Amino acid sequence: MDQGRRSFRNPFDIETPPGAEGWETMYPAYLQFSEEMRERDEQKLWFFDQMHNPEPLYPFDLMMPESWLVSLNQYTTRVWNLPTALGIEHRIVNGYLYLSPNVIDDPAAMAEREPVFAERARHYFENWDEIYANWVDKATDCIERLKAIGFEPLPDREPLDTVLHARGTTTAFDLLASYSRYLENMHEMAYYHFEMLNLAYGAYLTFLEFCRSHFPAITDDLVARMVAGIDVILYRPDAELRRLAVRAVELGVGGALTSGAAPDATTAELGTTEAGRQWLAELEEVKDPWFYYTTGSGYCHAKRAWIDDPRPPFAALADYVRRVERGEDLVRSLDKLRAERDRIADGYRSLLDGDEVTGFDDLLALSRQVFPFVENHNFYVEHWHHSIFFNKARELGAVLVAAGLLEQDDDIYFLHRYEVYQALYEAEARWALGVPTRSEYIWREEVARRRQIYAAFEKWNPPPALGVPPDKVTEPITVTLFGINTDTIERWLAAEAEGSPDGRLLGLAASPGVAEGVARVVHQVEELDQLEDGEILVCPLTAPSWSIVFARIAAAVSDGGGIMSHAAIVSREYGLPAVVATGVGTRVLRTGDRLRVDGGTGVVTVLERAAAPAGEAAGA
Amino acid sequence: MTDLHVAAGQTMGGAQVAVTGNCLPEHVNHVGGKAVGLGSLLRAGQRVPASFVVTAGAYREYRRGQALPQELRAAIAGAYASLCELDGTEVPVAVRSSATVEDSAEASWAGQFQTFLGVSGTEEVLARVEECWAAALDPHVGAYRAGHQLGPDDGGVAVIVQELVDARAAGVIFTQHPETGDRSLVVIESSHGLGEAVVGGDVVPDLFEINKITRQQHRSRLGTKHTEYRLAGGGRGVQARPVDPARQQAWSISEPELTALTDMAAALEAKLGRGLDVEWAIGTAPSTHGTEALFALQVRPITVDPRRRSERPQPPAAGRGPDAIGHILGRLAGREPGTGAG
Repeated sequence: MDQGRRSFRNPFDIETPPGAEGWETMYPAYLQFSEEMRERDEQKLWFFDQMHNPEPLYPFDLMMPESWLVSLNQYTTRVWNLPTALGIEHRIVNGYLYLSPNVIDDPAAMAEREPVFAERARHYFENWDEIYANWVDKATDCIERLKAIGFEPLPDREPLDTVLHARGTTTAFDLLASYSRYLENMHEMAYYHFEMLNLAYGAYLTFLEFCRSHFPAITDDLVARMVAGIDVILYRPDAELRRLAVRAVELGVGGALTSGAAPDATTAELGTTEAGRQWLAELEEVKDPWFYYTTGSGYCHAKRAWIDDPRPPFAALADYVRRVERGEDLVRSLDKLRAERDRIADGYRSLLDGDEVTGFDDLLALSRQVFPFVENHNFYVEHWHHSIFFNKARELGAVLVAAGLLEQDDDIYFLHRYEVYQALYEAEARWALGVPTRSEYIWREEVARRRQIYAAFEKWNPPPALGVPPDKVTEPITVTLFGINTDTIERWLAAEAEGSPDGRLLGLAASPGVAEGVARVVHQVEELDQLEDGEILVCPLTAPSWSIVFARIAAAVSDGGGIMSHAAIVSREYGLPAVVATGVGTRVLRTGDRLRVDGGTGVVTVLERAAAPAGEAAGA
Repeated sequence: MTDLHVAAGQTMGGAQVAVTGNCLPEHVNHVGGKAVGLGSLLRAGQRVPASFVVTAGAYREYRRGQALPQELRAAIAGAYASLCELDGTEVPVAVRSSATVEDSAEASWAGQFQTFLGVSGTEEVLARVEECWAAALDPHVGAYRAGHQLGPDDGGVAVIVQELVDARAAGVIFTQHPETGDRSLVVIESSHGLGEAVVGGDVVPDLFEINKITRQQHRSRLGTKHTEYRLAGGGRGVQARPVDPARQQAWSISEPELTALTDMAAALEAKLGRGLDVEWAIGTAPSTHGTEALFALQVRPITVDPRRRSERPQPPAAGRGPDAIGHILGRLAGREPGTGAG
């Protein structure tokens, strides 16, 4: 081990927070640090996957990381044979997910993989548009098949049809079979998720690095703006809300939407007039699929989609209606966007000479070709598919409640997906027996215990990284997908070593401009209604659906986020300064702190500290 | 503006005094680099202080006799009188050496040359022109010239006489980043008062880095501007004055002024090519009749620190490799960004 090399805390020295004792049984053993693997594991870098799982993992939701553990990594390791990387490992520490990339640096091994990789990856790049068109069909078909899977409580008595058709199997058998199909469907979508992503990010990263080598000061934002799609499916949900707001004003029903009433009451009021009913009909038309849009990363069941929780879209509608009434033009002109994108690209091109121009144009063209996948897969996978997936889990919870194994529907999220299989089997057994069984106690007790542990996890602050960082982080997936590079590691090390002695916090400059204001630390989308106009949003990570608050805030600061960060994109759209990837913002900053956010340099300065809330533990 | 210079030039006569606007790059041996720069600025449509140039030919005449010949005195006095017509009084001017070798890379002896600020009245102008020449004959300069194998008849020293801009703010524009060479940035340094505070390194100026394409500020830094130089009362000399703490903490130029400077950088690059270093000032001068205006004072090719340049990552060889896909495959195969291997 290098003497004097800076490192993060040793993952084996992390204590269990009070109240979380015995947490290990909540998660599979292979995902935990253990003595057998100590020598290897404590010498590696493990970074907190704040981007996808900012909150402790529910055992059921672990299905998401476990799916990509297989799908993403298979593409890297076995399908593409990326010359530089093997899979990204997972570990769970006090309920939080930590990741560790693995690089190949042996020149012989790299050389051996390179021709294999080149042949395979080139095939995808050369046939990109056709493969992408097929991809959309595959993804849509997968979603349709998921929709067709349903879970219903076991009936008192097997239906007569089973007998009349001499089926042989029963609804209990169907239940377990459906559950297997349900898991397979999730797994299948995870494959599609990563089918084209590595390559698309690789193309983008290469263009980004080309730009940086010629223009050291170029920001990720400007590169993204040159490449970004014009008519992007991912932004359709927001675009539909804008359009509906304009329609509401045209129909004269804007008042109902800005009344501040709950969505149910608003809908009821709209139903009393002809114009209101007309607007509601138009709303219904866009719901499938555009309301299958989550307020989170799509990786956690707790972030409901708009289709389930209409509060976020209704809040956004109210804001948009007010803006239309003020005379703002809300509907984004695609021509204007296209002109803006070309203006930036032409500007940079005009500063290059000879071969540089060709290189720039070729890489830009390829980046633009792959970028629709990058932007749109997010809607198909994380929003549309995963929203439906998590809703089906709720149905499953109801099945287990009806069978007497669980107390309430959402208990199911405290069970790992294979434990759910076990519980469904036990429900089948109980149903078959027709008498009380021990199952009715086992699962409820275990869920009650896990709820307590989960609550203890929520009070623990996961450090941004553990273990020993490598000298350099250039591995493309880590850099693009997780936004972690050598600079990020340096910032985290500095933050860990010094705290923030001068009241400054460093992140990535995501959207230019300088703003001062009062911080509002928001961990969950439900807390967004506490935000007051002109405050600075400090959050773990924002998703596109958080855009509803961006009209009201002065600036945004997020712990996570990288090259592809949504917070950055939305901030730019609203012309707000944003700093992302501070790593520690939500833990170091407090609601009430006066901040200056410089989105051009990535510096957040604490101008004035808020008083510490009573009872807050020091050094938390 | 151009009219004023022509008016001044009409009284000049002979080759001893030249019209600044007529100074072309091929005249560098007669009028020096600084005057050629001013000529370029004028032709690029910039506002430049009203001025005339006493040529290197006049210098050689002077050197032969060690005194200002009468004819030369009359020419300089006449040209100065034209400047004074701008305002009807004895206008304060700056008298600066414009060496015919000053900007060459080998002989960077800029320090050996003179600048006098706030010179008023014909007699004083004549005395300062003479002093500029005397300085060039200084034994130090002689030794320097010998060291650089410059004979006594090589080059010479022209002198620029220009109305003094009583600058409220002044500084330097670099049309690309002077350290990283980034062509997408305009770097602007600015401080209160005359530009001497910035050029002479008396203060840490305010700094702005502006993206040429988006016109957004990439970075800014508030300087510590404890001193400013202003024209002394009566137009004689300049005075260093302390800057009060509130003004030290305030930006030395406004947003619209920053925009005007960025526009100036873009206009000059379009006319004169990339990579310029431009001195500028915002203030009043006799030619503006008391109204504040933005002046370009000097332009020269930017000097990028060669060590820094070699540290810069070499651009990847995209476009020269097989194709863009090959370039991406190379990157994903682990070649360091920017190594150029395709």
